[in-house]
Amino acid sequence: MNKNEIMDKLAQTIRTVFENPSIEIKEATSANDVDEWDSLAHISLIEEVEKAFKVKFALGELMKLQNVGQMADLILKKSAK
Amino acid sequence: MLFNSYFFIFIFLPVAWLGYFALNKYKMVDLAKSWLLGCSLFFYGYYNPSYLPLILVSILVNHAITTQLQNDKNERHKTSLFYFSLCFNLGLLGYFKYMNFFLDNFSALTTIHLEPLKIILPLGISFYTLQQVAYLIDVYQGVAGEKRFIDYALFVTFFPYLLSGPIGHYSEIMPQFESLRAKVFNYRNVALGLFVFTIGLSKKVLIADTLSGWVSDGYLHPEKLHFFHAWGTSLSYTFQLYFDFSGYSDMAIGLGLLFNIKIPQNFNSPFRAGNINDFWARWHMTLSLFIRTYIFTPLVKCMPKTTFGYSMIAMFLAMTIAGIWHGAAWTFVIYGMLHGLAIVIHYYWKKRKKKVNYFLAWLVTFNFVNFTFIIFRSRTLTEAKHVVMGMLGLQGFQFPKMGISFINKLGAKMGPYMSNDQNLQLIIIIVSFILIFKAQNTSELQESFKPRKRLAVLTACMFVICLFGLNRVSEFIYFNF
Repeated sequence: MNKNEIMDKLAQTIRTVFENPSIEIKEATSANDVDEWDSLAHISLIEEVEKAFKVKFALGELMKLQNVGQMADLILKKSAK
Repeated sequence: MLFNSYFFIFIFLPVAWLGYFALNKYKMVDLAKSWLLGCSLFFYGYYNPSYLPLILVSILVNHAITTQLQNDKNERHKTSLFYFSLCFNLGLLGYFKYMNFFLDNFSALTTIHLEPLKIILPLGISFYTLQQVAYLIDVYQGVAGEKRFIDYALFVTFFPYLLSGPIGHYSEIMPQFESLRAKVFNYRNVALGLFVFTIGLSKKVLIADTLSGWVSDGYLHPEKLHFFHAWGTSLSYTFQLYFDFSGYSDMAIGLGLLFNIKIPQNFNSPFRAGNINDFWARWHMTLSLFIRTYIFTPLVKCMPKTTFGYSMIAMFLAMTIAGIWHGAAWTFVIYGMLHGLAIVIHYYWKKRKKKVNYFLAWLVTFNFVNFTFIIFRSRTLTEAKHVVMGMLGLQGFQFPKMGISFINKLGAKMGPYMSNDQNLQLIIIIVSFILIFKAQNTSELQESFKPRKRLAVLTACMFVICLFGLNRVSEFIYFNF
């Protein structure tokens, strides 16, 4: 999977978790841009992302994520292993 | 050692700083780091060297175990080593911070009487334990790179944040000590560092220390607090805590900049928050981040399912732990539980998608926080109860002597608990409100910072004014946690 494909799938997952099909997802999109994205929604999102991409995030990795682009990079790095 | 002391500002800091850059200038990089480590340990042991062995043992053991974890290939070994190390860290914290609390409650609940042990809380133990546990977990999960002893020891002990935070994450701090840029004298960072340090010093010396007298007066006899005096005491404490702790964080950030180290932001105008969740995203931000990452997330993962209800239980537990982290007393447990409960209520409310007017939302949030800080400050729940009763007017009314203070000069007394400087107290509370709402906060000021002559003069004046206030050197509230 390349980064664009990951971004597409990630956007889809985010829209499903937040039950909002109209959210626009760019690399720079972060929790601050999406009203529904609070620490609670974040946990559900991480769980869904882990399922969808078959990866497991370490706690320290989650801490550093600033936006969707970084999450895609992390998935790319982890699935390449 | 206190940042707000002449010895720190005029002797310790210049010596540590000049030594560090001089050694770096002559390419003695490791020696420069060792120098900074030595200075940090001196800073730590300055008042009481007996704390030193404990922090050294903690660093040595954690370094040895994490190095072993990084080299061991056997998963079972690693798991047992990890849990052993976790128990070691929490055990140290538990013994030094919570043992007497435990013994006390045990004696109260059973017929067996246990004498409290003679334990002095080692400075900063809650902070350096948290930093090391985060590193340990990351090593165990395979996301922390290898490190040398000197880097690790310096990361744990770096004096600007050692005693009271901001709580640094190794992945943010350690690479900065490595970078070449950080070893070169940087004029902009020095100017910015001094500016931020002065803001912090002013918050502490001019506001927090001024408020502290009224707070101690009020809490001396909480059962005698009348309506206005109770409100004055409680608001004074809320602002004292904020200016004290955010002042300390600013000073730490400023000191970090002097050494070209960027220490994370710890406050972002918390009292402007329109809900309790937002408050925790702005108040003691580095602690919130650690709680969310290393306590809340694993707790949710331990739950049978990730449902709303289970997440709420995890949230409540995480906030209760955050409360206990502050200290070994029921008041802190209740403080944490109340905040946990408030966050749960907030999420239920949010789920129902009902919007509230900002002012109303702010009013509720601010008053809730102010109310919980009464419990946070009180030594016992009875003390807290009296302050709250006072604020509800249940201990009587006595009008403040605003505008009629001249009577006082004629020798008339206004009432048993009306201090002479009550007008000043009111003014400082109003000024605090204005600063909190209208003034740019330190990180905003940092972003818009341009080294100009006028700003330099202003900063220097503030600094000198603060220096006059240092004769009443006082500890920081968060040293006790």
